[in-house]
Amino acid sequence: MRPFRRRGGDVVARLDPAEAGIVGLLLDQLEQLLAAPEDDVADDPVLNRLLPEGHRGDPELAADYRELTEPALRSGKADDLATVRATLPAAGGDVRLDADQAAAWLRTTNDLRLALGTRLEITEDSEPPDEVTDDEGQQMAVYYWLTAVQGSLVDALAAGRGGRR
Amino acid sequence: MAGPLAPQRTPDIVVDEESDLDRPWVTVVWNDPVNLMNYVTYVLQELFGYDEPTATTLMLQVHHDGRAIVSSGPRERMEHDTSRLHAYGLWASYQRDT
Repeated sequence: MRPFRRRGGDVVARLDPAEAGIVGLLLDQLEQLLAAPEDDVADDPVLNRLLPEGHRGDPELAADYRELTEPALRSGKADDLATVRATLPAAGGDVRLDADQAAAWLRTTNDLRLALGTRLEITEDSEPPDEVTDDEGQQMAVYYWLTAVQGSLVDALAAGRGGRR
Repeated sequence: MAGPLAPQRTPDIVVDEESDLDRPWVTVVWNDPVNLMNYVTYVLQELFGYDEPTATTLMLQVHHDGRAIVSSGPRERMEHDTSRLHAYGLWASYQRDT
């Protein structure tokens, strides 16, 4: 991976074929989770993190909030996912994004990190694995790889914002 | 100590919480172990138009104190702000100001 950098009005990164493949698989999994019948995923911690409570302590307000906002939140995630898929080079290569596409990547990579981080029970003291020996180690490695991708995207976008002033 | 000429103190008025309609609502961002510090700062700037020092101060407050109030106002607006933060995956909720 070559991290995101500013190029003109766009941000550009480069993904290896294997990395592009992993992102594609994660997008599929996120899409499936969001499309799952509600009864199957009612208490799923990942879904609860992606579609959180709006009000703590008052179930009635929380239910109102969910009814009011969840459809738009879900459709926003679906739109972002479609944008990321459309701009992901399936066999690896350059990812070149305009401002709107970059915002979609920012939100979706964050959702993927939230999903993986919740499953892996990441804490503030968690660290990247020294060597990958099992499935969990592999998922950890993917989590920290996504962290690097997203971190570079934030930095590139923030640098661009400074330049606009 | 109050002398004989000191004005009599007005007793504190007890306000029932439910009837206190003027008290604004607030949007709170909570700390979580996944969201990156530079990401939280960026999102606060993007959504609320804060300059970088203000957004950074709020982010650090979330990080160190576990939470920060990022906006205040009428309930409907706080619901809206909460939903905008949720769209970016920040852990947010709205509540009556305490």
